[in-house]
Amino acid sequence: MRSKYFQYTSWLMALLLLMASCKEEPYAVPVPKDALQNDCIKRSLGPNIVGNNIEFAYAMALPGDKGKLVSAQVEASIAGAATTYLEHRSYYTDGSGVDVGVEVATPSTNQGNVTTVNFSKDTNAVTLRYFYTIPEEARGKTISFKFSARSSNGETVNYSMGPYTIARMDIALDIPVMDAANCFISIEDMKAYDAVDAAAHAANIDLVYLYRAMPNVAFNHSLVSPGTKSEYLPGVVLPPGVNKVTKISKAWALRDNNLARDKYGIYIDDIDFQQLDIANAPDYAINLKEEAGAWIETADGKYRAYIYINKVNNGAQSAVISMKRYTMK
Amino acid sequence: MRRYLYLTALLLCCAFAWISCSKDDFPVDEDGLLITTRAECYVSDFQLLGSDFQTVLTAKKPVIDTTACTIHAEVQYGTDLKNVYPQFSLVTDAKLDPKITGKVDFSDLANPRSYTVVSGNRQVRKTYTVHISIQQ
Repeated sequence: MRSKYFQYTSWLMALLLLMASCKEEPYAVPVPKDALQNDCIKRSLGPNIVGNNIEFAYAMALPGDKGKLVSAQVEASIAGAATTYLEHRSYYTDGSGVDVGVEVATPSTNQGNVTTVNFSKDTNAVTLRYFYTIPEEARGKTISFKFSARSSNGETVNYSMGPYTIARMDIALDIPVMDAANCFISIEDMKAYDAVDAAAHAANIDLVYLYRAMPNVAFNHSLVSPGTKSEYLPGVVLPPGVNKVTKISKAWALRDNNLARDKYGIYIDDIDFQQLDIANAPDYAINLKEEAGAWIETADGKYRAYIYINKVNNGAQSAVISMKRYTMK
Repeated sequence: MRRYLYLTALLLCCAFAWISCSKDDFPVDEDGLLITTRAECYVSDFQLLGSDFQTVLTAKKPVIDTTACTIHAEVQYGTDLKNVYPQFSLVTDAKLDPKITGKVDFSDLANPRSYTVVSGNRQVRKTYTVHISIQQ
């Protein structure tokens, strides 16, 4: 008798479970909030480098019958560089995939660490982009942002973003180098000099760029330290005092997005330089190809850098390089 | 009848538990690798990669002498031999001693490096010497 009760109960439970699991949730159209609201995303990726922008998209809206947007502002914990701005246009993407701006406010103004726009068109929903140009004062620090919007009915909303760490490293893009011309590279100055200027900056020259087309050997585009063996500096006349021994380690498939520009999703950050160990690296790197790179450590250990080869030109015996540099001391 | 069913189910459970708990009887070596019956013991290919993980060997294929147990390979001019990654292709089930765990210094050309190939049955050991020459 008891087992029969168990059996019935089990069947009933199973039936109930089946019914519950098959029950369909009816869809309900979400009810919009009856007030001013906002949202924000960070659009830029990778390390935050001094001189580059951090980009955000700040969205704000309120129901049409409640009023219109009056102003929007961003308060940064450290004032941005002069080129910091909040867009006064709202963008939509047309049929060709092009972003088209519609002016909805007067151009933004910066006062201290606050960037403001005042709406000039009747607008009750908009997304504005914010471009914060990282100032020198923010190097190595963390920074955060407070976005806020105000509507004509007196409501205000705000949205906090961050904190974000600002990288300590520097970046220099598209430095042209040419064999027997501007071929003397300074990591400290992040520049390439010709022989005359190199003589004037002899203490800062860390590398020599040269191109050699040899019959049996792949020498080609090379970065060589001025203090290396003469066999790796064939036909190079060094300016007086240019004799540093720099450590160089070749890299391949390390196409940093900041240096290669939107080609690849790899970023070199401060931590890569901090953990870099090229103590046993040689003082030359020959046969470098386009999109290759080289890790560098200066003779005094003050700087570590990554040099990326953007372009090479065998005919002109030249290349275009970009670099990220981290100060160790 | 019900008792028989109960006993059969219990017996099946015990048998299943016993089977599932029995330890596999395949022999493994100190590295946890399977020891097989293969006695073959040789290097079939050799590669040398630079710090950028690209080959530093020239177009000349490395010469592997499985009788003399030697490998002769030519590297490109300017190769940083202090920081290279050797790669050995071995016969099935064989392993290499010492293991390659990172960059290796091949710069002492007068004293070539040696690596021992151990067969799948771990009974045969052959030591290969790697001779490096630099492209001129």
